Amino acid sequence: MFEYFKEYFDFKTFLVTLALAGIGLISVYSATYDAGAASIFQRQLSWAAIGFVAMIVTAILPLKTIYRLVGPSYLVLLLVLLVLLVVGKTVSGSRSWFSLAKDLGGQPSEFAKVASLLALAAFLSRTTTIISDPKHLIAAIAIIVIPMGFVLAQPDLGTSIVFFAMLLPILYWAGVDNFVLAAILSPVIVAAGALFGTSFFIISVIASAALLYVSRRNRFIAAVAFALTLAVGVSVQFVYERLPSYQQKRIMTFLNPEADPLGSGYNVLQAKVAIGSGGLFGKGYLQGTQTQLNFIPEQWTDFIFCVPGEEFGFFGASIVLILFGVLLMHGIKVASASKNKFSSIAAIGIVAVLATHVLINIGMSMGLMPVVGIPLPFLSYGGSALVANMMMSGLLMNFWANRKEY
Amino acid sequence: MSTIIRNQEEIGSLQQQRVLRIIVLGIVGILLFRLYQLQLFYNVELGRKSTENSLRSIVKEPIRGYVFDRNGSLLVDVGPSYTLMITPAEFDRRNLPLLSSLLQMDQESIEERIERGRMYSRFSPTRVKRDIDFKTLSAIEEAIYRLPGVTYQVESKRYYPSGAYASHLLGYCKEISDVQLARMGEYYRLGDLIGFAGLESSYETMLRGQKGYEFIAVNARGKILGPFEGGQNDVVPKEGFDLILGLDAGTQVVAESLMANYRGSLVALDPSNGAILALVSKPDFDPSIFSGVTPAEEWARLNNDTTKPMFNRASMTRYPPGSTFKMVLAAAALEEGIIDEKYRIVCHGAYRFGNRTFKDLHVHGSTNVVEAIQRSCNVFFYQLIHKVGLEKWAEYAHRFGFGQSTGADIGEETMGLVPSADYFDRVYGKGKWTQGYLVSLAIGQGELGVSPLQMAVYELALANGGILHQPHAVQFIRNKFTNRVEELQHRTRSVGLSPRVIALIREGMRRSVNEPGGTGGAARIPNIVVAGKTGTAENPHGDDHSWFVGFAPFDDPKIAVAVMVENAGYGGSKAAPIAGLVMEKYLLGSIQRYQYKPKIAPKPKVDSTTVITAVQ
Repeated sequence: MFEYFKEYFDFKTFLVTLALAGIGLISVYSATYDAGAASIFQRQLSWAAIGFVAMIVTAILPLKTIYRLVGPSYLVLLLVLLVLLVVGKTVSGSRSWFSLAKDLGGQPSEFAKVASLLALAAFLSRTTTIISDPKHLIAAIAIIVIPMGFVLAQPDLGTSIVFFAMLLPILYWAGVDNFVLAAILSPVIVAAGALFGTSFFIISVIASAALLYVSRRNRFIAAVAFALTLAVGVSVQFVYERLPSYQQKRIMTFLNPEADPLGSGYNVLQAKVAIGSGGLFGKGYLQGTQTQLNFIPEQWTDFIFCVPGEEFGFFGASIVLILFGVLLMHGIKVASASKNKFSSIAAIGIVAVLATHVLINIGMSMGLMPVVGIPLPFLSYGGSALVANMMMSGLLMNFWANRKEY
Repeated sequence: MSTIIRNQEEIGSLQQQRVLRIIVLGIVGILLFRLYQLQLFYNVELGRKSTENSLRSIVKEPIRGYVFDRNGSLLVDVGPSYTLMITPAEFDRRNLPLLSSLLQMDQESIEERIERGRMYSRFSPTRVKRDIDFKTLSAIEEAIYRLPGVTYQVESKRYYPSGAYASHLLGYCKEISDVQLARMGEYYRLGDLIGFAGLESSYETMLRGQKGYEFIAVNARGKILGPFEGGQNDVVPKEGFDLILGLDAGTQVVAESLMANYRGSLVALDPSNGAILALVSKPDFDPSIFSGVTPAEEWARLNNDTTKPMFNRASMTRYPPGSTFKMVLAAAALEEGIIDEKYRIVCHGAYRFGNRTFKDLHVHGSTNVVEAIQRSCNVFFYQLIHKVGLEKWAEYAHRFGFGQSTGADIGEETMGLVPSADYFDRVYGKGKWTQGYLVSLAIGQGELGVSPLQMAVYELALANGGILHQPHAVQFIRNKFTNRVEELQHRTRSVGLSPRVIALIREGMRRSVNEPGGTGGAARIPNIVVAGKTGTAENPHGDDHSWFVGFAPFDDPKIAVAVMVENAGYGGSKAAPIAGLVMEKYLLGSIQRYQYKPKIAPKPKVDSTTVITAVQ
């Protein structure tokens, strides 16, 4: 029995997930302790319990059942996203959308992420799918881009970035030609470079040109891709200059938060102060002044990393980072060990989603990334995100248990 | 399942695994490095910012010092005043209309004050309206639960219970200007009151006390969580030092009422030490209009008034002194041995110099120096200035303190003008002016400028036998740190006149008031010998200015006084009686010649003890 357990039970995913969720509960408790938001911890605790059940259920469901559920869940979630978008738009703006989403018990986009990566994995693992066929490639990209478009229209930039970010590793893992990846990636690099000013723009153009050149199969197609990339970069600059000034300001604040310490850069600055003031061992649990005095608005959601950063210092915060590192490395191991193509691709999708969340969220708390507002997996407050993330852990456990199945 | 799921060999090659592992390790590595950078490298700086963040210092306003007169009666009192404060970060703009109606202040002004406060610190309360009345305060109190971020602060406010204005001497406080704020640096902040003129300004650093600070822990919404570290770092405000003046409040009130209908100035000094006994500049203003909020129209009215009530005529003016200056020339001639008491000239009522004739008011006949002062004989001094010369005359004028600032502690003053050969060279060109220019100077006319304060100092030196004391309003300071009364030190120097010379001049001044033929008879006081000298200064812009300088009692002077009444004509008829009454009030405690009623009704007294308790 124990031998069987040792062979098929994914202790690593299970324990790391529990550890991260535990640190999350501790952090949410600290962030809401004295902020007049005690009920938030209570709710998160219930969500953690629900998430735990969801993780176990996902882990023990037969892989075939999961595979069968992917298509319907994907379509249902697409429909939900669309309906909420239409209803939200017609019923007076985004405010009602948020309250409606809250009434529905969370954001469907969290589950849509999981459903989309599974749907893409299912599509790519079909015997009939030939990835080098442009039609199939476009269909694969569409599986991600359609929900991504709905999410972007909400508007939720952060989550749509996550959708985009999972596309590349999945396609890469599924064996898509490097040139295609380069052609998808290079406009994004150039667009980002355009916002940082001329020198960054030139560097990003050179970098994407190099990417396209190295991965090229056909000179003409490479040249076309490069021309498109350039066009994207130039139009980004063109659009930026015509943006309303508050949006320009938001972008500029990301580039230099100290320029506007009381405006949009406030959160980032306070987050950096919180983390930086933690030092080696932190100020002690519930002793973080930044955290306890609520200098970071809604810290329990997007800026939850400040809590371990401030209260447990470098020691505590690096444990969080290492736990994520262990989980992600293990996810790659699950993908590599899976003889089953669907679960292998899906595992990479899970790794990509989690890695993107970790990079953007923690990077944002430390002033490395723009404030795009996506939660830190397992730690941030938010029921649907916690349940969806624990389901992803459950999936990894399931894939590990079934790794030898074809 | 086997039909739809293929063998994994085509995906997940070792190279693909390696690439993805490197990316994941790269992400974790970058974040770890950044974590190290923030927490172990910038830790000190960010830690300091974190402490500043969660600490709020609440300024505790000190009580400004009191001002007492020489008899210990209160001239400047302190009472509580309520100031409405708003913490910008906490204030909800939707409450503007409500607050606006409660305060009866327009929304834009309130918003402007909040915005200015926000620039300083969004977490610190900023002053929005000073000195709100009790009715408004209770209305705000009732609505305070609806007005987050609105608080009030008790501050001190000036009261003037003595009935004397002494506005130019005491000065006033005013909200600190942006320019001052930029210049004065650390101590002051927006909305602070600062001494603007007179003693309030000269002794600002002593009067203001030291602000206290209460450190409290707050959260980001500004909610007060309690004292920081049990309040052990709090700084208790230190009360401002009290000023104890040489001023005599009763004499000041009388002097102000006597000058009430004139433009001009009166300065009375204690000849034994230079203490200012009374200082009047008319027209003046009620200093209490500055104690709360000064309405803009009131401020504009004072500043636009053509009679310049804000202008301190006692120290800032440059009038020709007229005949009151003759004693300077007499002193120079006697001290330098150019003449003695036996020296006589015959006055024919006019003096010819070159082709010009300088007139006298009377024909004085044979006149010596004492008689010349007594009768204010111009001819005597016309011819004397040529014997003494410009240089010696100017030297003695300087010895009496003319042409230089007196060093009084009441604020700005002019140096006045005592012309020298250099001066005439500069103005008229070398060799283009003649000895004829000196003739006017002999009788205190022409290019000679003095302030009433300088005249009082000159008189003080004649009264006390030739000692020039630095005039000063403040004699003692009650140091609130040591709780000791400290005497201030002032400069003293000798004019350098021999007793014989002083005695001759004093005799001339005694006769001027007390003997037939003297011009200053109107300054006489029953049973007290007054000495003095009248002056009528020609004024090219209008009627002559009326001057009187004098001291009393003659044998043991207790008061030296200079009076200048603008455009009032002959010195003996306007300035002299005022000087006499002021000296009588000071020396006898009251004016006994006739039933004297002050023209300004004294203001109701504020009981200072209850006021202090309220502030504390």
